[in-house]
Amino acid sequence: MTATNTDTPLLERRYARLGVLLIAPTVVVFSMVIVYPLLAAIYLSLFSIYTPTLEGDFVGAANYAELLTGGDFWRSLGTTLIWTVGTLTLQIVFGVGMALLLHQNLWFRSLARSLVLFPYFISTVVAVLVWRWLFNDLYGALNHGLMQLGIIDMPLDWLGSMPNAMIGIILVGAWKYFPFVVIAVLARLQTIPDHLYEAARIDGAGPIARFWDVTLPQLRSVLVVIILLRAIWDFKEFDLIFLLTGGGPVTSTQTLALLVYQEAFALNNMGQAAAYSVGMMLVMLAFMLIYIRRTGREG
Amino acid sequence: MRTPFLHKLLFNLFTWSLVLLVTFPLAWMIITSLKPQTELFRIPPTWWPETITFEHYWRLLTETPFLTYFRNSVVLATSTTIFVVVLGTIGAYSLVRFSYRGRETLATLVLFTYLLPSVVLIIPLYLMMVELGLSNTLTSLILAHTTFALPYALWLLRSFMEGVPEDLESAALVDGATRMGAFRDVILPQLLPGIISTALFTFILSWNEYLYALVLVNSESVRPLTTGVMSMLITAFNIEWSLLMAASVMMSVPLIIVFAFLQSYLTRGFGAGGVKG
Repeated sequence: MTATNTDTPLLERRYARLGVLLIAPTVVVFSMVIVYPLLAAIYLSLFSIYTPTLEGDFVGAANYAELLTGGDFWRSLGTTLIWTVGTLTLQIVFGVGMALLLHQNLWFRSLARSLVLFPYFISTVVAVLVWRWLFNDLYGALNHGLMQLGIIDMPLDWLGSMPNAMIGIILVGAWKYFPFVVIAVLARLQTIPDHLYEAARIDGAGPIARFWDVTLPQLRSVLVVIILLRAIWDFKEFDLIFLLTGGGPVTSTQTLALLVYQEAFALNNMGQAAAYSVGMMLVMLAFMLIYIRRTGREG
Repeated sequence: MRTPFLHKLLFNLFTWSLVLLVTFPLAWMIITSLKPQTELFRIPPTWWPETITFEHYWRLLTETPFLTYFRNSVVLATSTTIFVVVLGTIGAYSLVRFSYRGRETLATLVLFTYLLPSVVLIIPLYLMMVELGLSNTLTSLILAHTTFALPYALWLLRSFMEGVPEDLESAALVDGATRMGAFRDVILPQLLPGIISTALFTFILSWNEYLYALVLVNSESVRPLTTGVMSMLITAFNIEWSLLMAASVMMSVPLIIVFAFLQSYLTRGFGAGGVKG
């Protein structure tokens, strides 16, 4: 008896040590590639650094003063919000709608499900190349398709003028990312018990009433998580916008992620760019904390 | 009898037209890649190629650095995946099945970094790689890809690990196995489907990544596919769309293979990937 009493804490201590040993490599890599760069970004934001030579001076809070008063940050923040809200709304509406359709008894249902997932998994580079070809003002299929259907009379300049460029990136963003919503919602739909629908049907609820009274309340929690995650990911999107419009025309589609990149590697002000990136992270932090708290509570 | 059938037919027609509309850009990519250059600039465009040609694929493989890019991407994505999945599996085991101080904080930190924007890390990482003399190497990209792949893999593997029944491990321990013995003989086999789907996701993430490749690598011989194919667009005097579409198709080949044979692993990873309702 005494043996087990002294053994157990000893064993637990040994286990704890083993646990720490197993996580150690991860912690080392994390500190090197994430924690250190993160702190370095904050440190760099206090300097004025010329990118080609990587030399610079300490300027204190000057970069942040520029961020607050210069206007570029706020303009980009506005652009980012328009992009995020626009594309996210389309993703959710179209994603939930498609999930509801694919949940029904469809012919070749699993094939349809696979096809719909494709845009999400292909590279952004591939998606952008295809869409730039579709958007092409002279030979693009989109303009000719719309003209053959009689929706427009003249080819539109999709990515080179406003507001078309913003509409263009929002549409491509919605196309690329709505499958994420489809998969997540489909998974949840499959767990809604049938008897809830039976009960609603007995009560005389039609298909629309059943959607509002049964489906939607059941989807609520998963939708909150999807919206938070997608809002965070859309907010920080770089590749898709950079490759479609490069932030143009002029700066009309320059979101915060693009502003940071262009300040650092086109205008060569690395310190100012670091300050912008810290500002961007602070804006995102609110969403991140909500998501982390939610996940922590459920996990 | 007729009305329900008609109803079903209309429903199927409607849903399938939507599905085909969504897939149209990808079909258009394949159709364009098979058209001869002359047919491309027809107004209005031919919706189905009048003559089918594979010349663009042939030119892509013989006259452009496409194969170099492809090889770089394979090396990059495979190394990142192996590195991250090995670290992640051991790390997730520790995070789920051991108790020590700071474990919860660490798990939260993982989730936090999983949401972090790459542009915040790109500037210090760029400086770090220059400092270490690693700029313009695939190693720098593997390290950079770890920044998003490791938190992602850890988070995914953590939820898979939680799904492995604890009794199995306890039973093995009672039978005299060591913790690592139980990990190897009991947990790893149970976790295998989770490891496969994490590996697939990590591979796809790394295969598709663009920003780090853009900033950290600028020589032809080390470029992965994403920046390599984009540079073919930018440097071309007149853009050869059918060549680019052929490149896009070839670039998606690994993905098509995954989709054809391993799709269930992808959907499984989705359920675990933080979207628990």
